[in-house]
Amino acid sequence: MPELLRLQSDFATALRHRDRAPAVQRWLAGDDAHADRRLGIYRANMVAAADKALSAAYPVIRQVVGGEFFHGLAREYQRGTPSTSGDLNEFGATFDAFLAAFEHVQTMPWLPDLARLEWAAHRAYGAADAPEWDAATLGAVDPERQSAIRFQWSPGLAVIESPYPIVRVWTIHQPGYAGEFSVDWDVPEAALVARDGFVVRVTACGPADAAFLAASLAGQPLGDAAEAALRQHPDFDLGALLARAIPARLVCGFTL
Amino acid sequence: MTAATPPLQGTGIGLRQPHYREVFERRPELAFLEVHSENFFLEGGASMHALERARAAYPISLHGVGLSLGSADRLADEHLAKLKRLVDRVEPALVSEHLSWGAIGGVHFNDLLPLPHTGETLALLADRVDHVQATLGRRILVENLSAYVEFRNSEMTETAFLAQLARRTGCGLLLDINNLYVNAVNFGFDPVERLAELDGATVGQIHLAGHTVVDDCLVDTHGSVVCDPVWDLYAHACARFGAKPTLIEWDTDLPALDVLLSQAAQAGTIARREVAHA
Repeated sequence: MPELLRLQSDFATALRHRDRAPAVQRWLAGDDAHADRRLGIYRANMVAAADKALSAAYPVIRQVVGGEFFHGLAREYQRGTPSTSGDLNEFGATFDAFLAAFEHVQTMPWLPDLARLEWAAHRAYGAADAPEWDAATLGAVDPERQSAIRFQWSPGLAVIESPYPIVRVWTIHQPGYAGEFSVDWDVPEAALVARDGFVVRVTACGPADAAFLAASLAGQPLGDAAEAALRQHPDFDLGALLARAIPARLVCGFTL
Repeated sequence: MTAATPPLQGTGIGLRQPHYREVFERRPELAFLEVHSENFFLEGGASMHALERARAAYPISLHGVGLSLGSADRLADEHLAKLKRLVDRVEPALVSEHLSWGAIGGVHFNDLLPLPHTGETLALLADRVDHVQATLGRRILVENLSAYVEFRNSEMTETAFLAQLARRTGCGLLLDINNLYVNAVNFGFDPVERLAELDGATVGQIHLAGHTVVDDCLVDTHGSVVCDPVWDLYAHACARFGAKPTLIEWDTDLPALDVLLSQAAQAGTIARREVAHA
């Protein structure tokens, strides 16, 4: 193995496993205690980078659990799921699964769904700007072919369905929120996450609309997605949904 | 290799999110704005819009922190592809990266880790810099690092290493005066002697920043004003190399914009004074 590769492998091991630092000592100038103190700076940087990246993506969870506990979550998450990209905006995609399995947050079973919501918001922030689209083109589709329409939703749009009131929890933790803080934990909620210009909006979405949007986002044509929604929710009203979604520019095109 | 825009002169600051609005409203007189490339590897949205506004008003310096030029196993071509897309979109005045590594075996530390200064490392870095410059279709600048450990197998100083890298690849150097000072204290060498190892024509940009003292070690935190020994070393560099585009780097505990502007003004004053006396 080339020397540099051995050195970097030993260095990486020493950063990730403090008890396995001796392998790197042979490469480092100075005595072992000195070298270990200096390696500690890099270990702290590593955790700080994870904390910073996750804090940017999950600001509500950070508020909910507190900065100190969140730092511990970041360290534990990074230990099991180290970053794989030089772009820290990519770090944290599986934080929801980590939270679902992490024993010290089991008293907050809604945390993983809140994480999914925040990750969707994080992705929507940097999603492509919605292209211009003339909604009148939809009216020109032959009625017999309408069920084959596949909508193009605005880039970054996501629906997060949860048995917990995740939209409520998200809302009361937003900067500038001035309302009251009660939460009814028995209310299931679906979150619609979408960009409005440059602003990411998170709004509650009825279960029927959520079922339709989830099917449509998964690539199903209009007819199949509507049928899927109607099967579970006989009150699903496609016309009403589109009458809200199109002016809000949540739809930005379709294919046939 | 040709630059997209004429060479820069003067001082700039980093454009960070809390200052977006004030910078766009006040339009302070600055030679350029610097951003971290990776913060703009996005398809669209508010950050990209802010960068476009900044680009319309100022030359941009793209400073990369995640390419990991010195990883022994591989260069992340997917990362380089994102940088290429950003460079094509922004047409920056300068593109820079670090003499460092940050990833091995698929794990990324998202840090600027030091390299041993050996012939093996030099051959690797020369290949990587050639590849990056060919992919981007332009010259890049490579920055000296602040470090907290030194390697026994190093065969030359970092500055001698960088001088050779510049000769072999045609890349420019980003001389970070604070990093040089931090290392001089941490490892006990004379930074002025190290500057003498560089060819001024290869220095394409200078960085100035603050650091923190932790126990027996200076840590490069970019969270405070430039200290007096770093200003003195900057004056020495200006006298030796001539005025170079100079950045005030500040990434943590961001102060009021005016603090950055006053640091930038101080750098400008020193550069003019030293060049006039040279």
